[in-house]
This record gives sequence, C-alpha cells and structure tokens, in this order.
Amino acid sequence: MDWHVIQANLPLLLRGLGTSLQLAAVAVLLSFPLGCLLAIGRLSRRAWLSLTCGGFVNLMRSNPLVLVLFWFYFLVPIITGRAVSDLGSIVIAFVIFFSVYFAEIVRSGIQSVGSRQVQAGLSTGLTYPQTMRHIVMPQAIRAMLPALTTQCIVVFQGTTVAYIVGYDELLHTASMAAERTGRPVELYVAVAVMYFLVCTAGSLLARNLERKS
Amino acid sequence: MNYQFNWAMLITEPYFGWIADGVLTTLHLALIAWCIAFVLGVAVGSCRVSGSAVLRLFGGAYVELFRNIPLLVQLFLWLYVAPQLLPADTRLWWNRLDSVPYWTAVIGISFYTSSRIAEQIRAAMNAIPQGQFRAALSTGLTPVQMYRHVILPYAIRIMLPAITSEFLTVFKNTALALTIGVLEITATTRKIEAWSFKGIEAYTVASLTYLATTVAVIGVMTWLERRLYIPGLIRRGG
Amino acid sequence: MTAPIIQIQDLGLAFDGFTALDGVSLDVMAGQCIVVCGPSGSGKSTLLRCVNGLERFQRGDVVVDGTSVRDCRDLPRLRRGIGMVFQHFELYPHMTVLENVTLAPIKAKGLSKAEAERVALHYLDQVGIADQAGKHPGRLSGGQQQRAAIARALALEPKVMLFDEPTSALDPEMISEVLRVMLDLARSGMTMLVVTHEMGFAREVADRIVFMDRGSIVETAGTAQFFSASQTERAREFLHKVLAKI
Repeated sequence: MDWHVIQANLPLLLRGLGTSLQLAAVAVLLSFPLGCLLAIGRLSRRAWLSLTCGGFVNLMRSNPLVLVLFWFYFLVPIITGRAVSDLGSIVIAFVIFFSVYFAEIVRSGIQSVGSRQVQAGLSTGLTYPQTMRHIVMPQAIRAMLPALTTQCIVVFQGTTVAYIVGYDELLHTASMAAERTGRPVELYVAVAVMYFLVCTAGSLLARNLERKS
Repeated sequence: MNYQFNWAMLITEPYFGWIADGVLTTLHLALIAWCIAFVLGVAVGSCRVSGSAVLRLFGGAYVELFRNIPLLVQLFLWLYVAPQLLPADTRLWWNRLDSVPYWTAVIGISFYTSSRIAEQIRAAMNAIPQGQFRAALSTGLTPVQMYRHVILPYAIRIMLPAITSEFLTVFKNTALALTIGVLEITATTRKIEAWSFKGIEAYTVASLTYLATTVAVIGVMTWLERRLYIPGLIRRGG
Repeated sequence: MTAPIIQIQDLGLAFDGFTALDGVSLDVMAGQCIVVCGPSGSGKSTLLRCVNGLERFQRGDVVVDGTSVRDCRDLPRLRRGIGMVFQHFELYPHMTVLENVTLAPIKAKGLSKAEAERVALHYLDQVGIADQAGKHPGRLSGGQQQRAAIARALALEPKVMLFDEPTSALDPEMISEVLRVMLDLARSGMTMLVVTHEMGFAREVADRIVFMDRGSIVETAGTAQFFSASQTERAREFLHKVLAKI
C-alpha cells in the first residue's frame, strides 16, 4: 500500500468531487421544478394530461439511468442536427431521468395532505390555485423534505454514471489517476471514502429533517 | 432529422444472438443478486431491531457503509480492491475464474441492495404494533419463534410494495455491470450501436426489455399481494 | 393453607426516572379472581406484564406457581403456564383464527397439528366462535376478536389468566359478550388477575378488589366492602367517577 499516491492526487480528486457536486446541483435544480410540473399534471383532472404525465413517469422509471444517458447521447445530436457538448447531453439525460423521481415524491407529498384540507380551503372561499399555494403546498413540502433530501443523495450517487461516457467527475478522475499511477487500490478506496462522507452527511440531514417533521 | 431506420437488422445474426444473451444475462444477474440481497437484508434488518446493542451497532454500520457509497464505486472496490485482501492462493483461484466480472457484479449488487432491504425490514418491524410482540411472547413462544412465525410473516406482507420496487431497482442497477465488462442487455445494445450505428433500434430493444420486465414484475407482485393480502387489515392498491 | 399461586413481593419498576411501580405486594390464591382498578397511568398494566416477565422490574420479585420470574431462565416455559389477554386483542392479522390459536401449542408446547386443532376448536367452542375458526381476525367483530384472543390464551391450558383491560377497546354492545366468557371462566375456577373498569363484572365475580394509584396499591378489600365502604378517599373518588359514567 502506498498512501502517498492519494496525497499526491488529492487536489485532482477534490476537483473531481467539486465537478460531481456541481453536476448533482444542476441536475437537482432543474429536475425538481420539472418534477413538480409532472406531479401536478399527473394529479390533473384532465385525463389526457394525467395519462400523458403518468405514462412518461412510468416509462422513464422502468429504464436505468445508463440507458437513458445512452439514448440522449445518441439522440440529441440527431434531433438537433448538430454536435452537442458531452455535458449538455449528460445534463439533459439527468434532468429528464431524475425529474420523474421528484415527480413521484411531490405527488405523494400532495396526496398526503388529503382532500379534506382542500375542501376546507375551498370552503373558505379560496380559489383552487390559492388553496394549493397556501394550504396544500406548505404542508406537502414539510412532509416530503426527508424524501427530497434522500433523493438529492441518489442524484449525487447517480453522477458516477457520467463516468461511463468519460465525463471528468470524481470517479472518472480517480480511474484516470489509477491508470496513470498503477495504484487502483489506494485511489478507489480514497474516492469511496469521499463519496461515503458526502452521502453520510446528507443522510444525517435527512434523518434530522424526519425527526423534526 | 436525418436517420435511416432498419428494424429488420435486429433479427439477423449476429445481433439477434447477442440480444438473446444480453437479455438472459440481465435476468439471471438480477435474480441471483436479488435472492442473495434478500437473505442478507433480512439478516441485517433483524440485527437492526434486535435487543442486542452490539448487533444493532453492526446492522447500523453495515447499512450506512453500503448505502452511502455509489454502486458503481462499490463495483470497482469489489473488482480492484477486495481481491487484494484475499490470501495469495485464493486470489489466484479467483482471478483464474472465467466469469470474474459477472460474479463481481453479483456480489456488488447483492451487498448494495441488501442494505436497502435491511432498511425496509427495519421500517416494517417498527410499523408492527408492540402488542404483537407481547402477545407472541405471552403465549410462550421463544423470541426466535416469535420472529419466525409472527413478526417476519407480518413484516413481509407490509413490505411487499417496497420489495416490488426494490426488485425493479435491482433490474435497473444490473445495467451498471457493463462498466466492469458484463455483457448484459444495455452493454449489448451499446455494442450493437457501435457496430451498426443504429442507435435507435438498438436502444429500443433495451428499453423494451426493461419495460416488459417491469410490467411482468408488477403483474406477479400484484398477484402475490392479492394472495398474501391480510383480510381486513391492509387495503390493496392506492 | 396452601401457598398463593401468584406472589408479588415489593415490586419496583422505573423507566427514565418515571416510577411505574413502587413497592407493590399482592398474593393471589388458586381459583381466585382479583380485579385491579385505578386511574390510567396507575401501573395496573405494567403490574400484569411483570407477572409473565414481559416487563423487567428492578426491585422485588414475582413468584408464579413456585417459579421466581426474576431468576427465571426459561421465560417461554413460564409464560406457557400464564395466559394473557390484551386490550387491543393482538391477534396475528395474517393468520386465520384457528392458526392464531394453534401456533403456540404447536411451536411452544410441541403438540401435533391435529391435537392442537382439536384443543383449539374446544376452546373456540367454549367462547362461542368455533364457526369463525377459518376466518382472518380482520373479518371478525371486536367482540369476536377478543373472544378468539381469550381462546388463544386458554389453548395453552394455563394455570393463571391475566386480562389487561379486555373490554376497553370494544364498542359498548360488544362488551357483554366478552364479559360473559370471562364470567364463565371465573366460575369454572380459573385463577384470574383482571385489570378492568367494568365494576359490574367486579361486583359479580371478584373475590377481592385492588385499587392502585401512582404505582402503588392504595387499598385492597373484599368486593362487598370495597363497593359499600371504601377505606380511602382516593378509592371513593375513583368509584364515584367510574360509576357516574354508567
């Protein structure tokens, strides 16, 4: 075992970690709003809208992230007719893939509030959007905070999939360094520890939120 | 959009044979991994709710360890790091096996999934009313008999929907085995795409495989849920 | 004179600084029916759970039929001799009524399935629900569920029965069918320790009434004396409240 190799590569690995965190942050920030729209669409009384959104969610959920990534990697240039950066394809695939998971969390959060609260809101003369905005959503968000936090960890763990298309996030950085130095044991243990620390911090946060709510 | 479709190529050799192999690999990889994960998960989940502080600590550490490292990283650890911990002659035996990537994937996916199943076991056990434990003990059952005949059968029925979605997750997770060289369906279609530049046809096959399995698994689990459904206690559907 | 079948000696139990039981002593003779009453949180249910070792106490001891619960190395064996009935029935929802009743006789006592079913049907018949044996508990009414739970306890042919507020979770119209079963059981000579607020039942069958408050026994009296001339102010006040409800 040669632990100096970790020390020597630490700045590189930290940069990789930064890239992973940024990718996860972008994916969460874009897929959460899209997920909210999908959830509201799914709960809509218009059958065509609810069926379309539901079908899309179930179709996406039955596929693995890697495959979705391959799809977009292949499709985006064909559809747009020009070369798209690797990062562009990755972000599009991640956002669309993870939005359906956020949609499911938001949907069950809204449903957990229950129709009696909606009736109570409507009975006091609020409009439907007002009821959603002031009565349902505040309660729903509190109920789904732990699940949202857990999902953020899932997204962060999911960024490792970008390794497969050679994007320089943490795992890919480590594998390049492992190849260059010939020390895969030390480097993979080091990245495992880094992922473990970030994810553990996240799950502690989720547990805290759960206890509060 | 400028793309020439050629769906017929999918049923010509060598592609058709590849696809069949890929689908089969995905199926048995997922099944074997899930069975191991379930046994491990039940054992670890039981540790997490046991009366012994040592077992609870072990269960907690196990779950945190396997849940908080991405599966892809765990696969690399099993492939590159774990063999280094083996005695020299065992390592030699392992490295000479034909299907090291396959069994590495089985081990990696099993351990990763077992931590998630353990958490669901724990949640289900906590959802069982305390009175059930007391009632079972009060009739003179030993703690082991209590878990075996009363608590676990109850917990598994509560868990069934979660087990279904976990099973589907295992299916999707087998796709990550392509990174360590297992030719399951996603890797196979990737290969077909590289070979023929017919990405849409190839990936459609993979997507349909996952979609069909999802539909089949949900069908089987709904049937199972109906069979195991506890009259008057758990409402189906919803 | 023979020794009491249950001897509770200076029992003390505290969790997280809260004293649940504080020096409780009580003797129950074979064949007696003792009713324990008192306000909620007075430690009645905890006391019952100490008798079959479901709750670990810190002080004193319980001796059941010559076996010390404190030193007991084989709690399952001890518990087979003590039947317990719970407030919320605690039937196993995933098993039929018959399976509920036969589980412990088969697994804990080692009876054959056929023998266990014979015993189970006998007791299900005794509590009047033999015709419901094949159903799941969720399909029965509350009163039927509680009678099934009594049959489950009786199927082990225990020397002592413990009842922990057996009618508190029942709708009023179902209380009497459960009390009827308990009444018959007491008259047949079963030793019973019953936590209940059913003062009518107590008046009818109890040999003695124990009044508990804040973890200790405030008063023990013969049934007639308890109702006509309670010695303590607290017991009179409690009786007044409980009787006023009816």
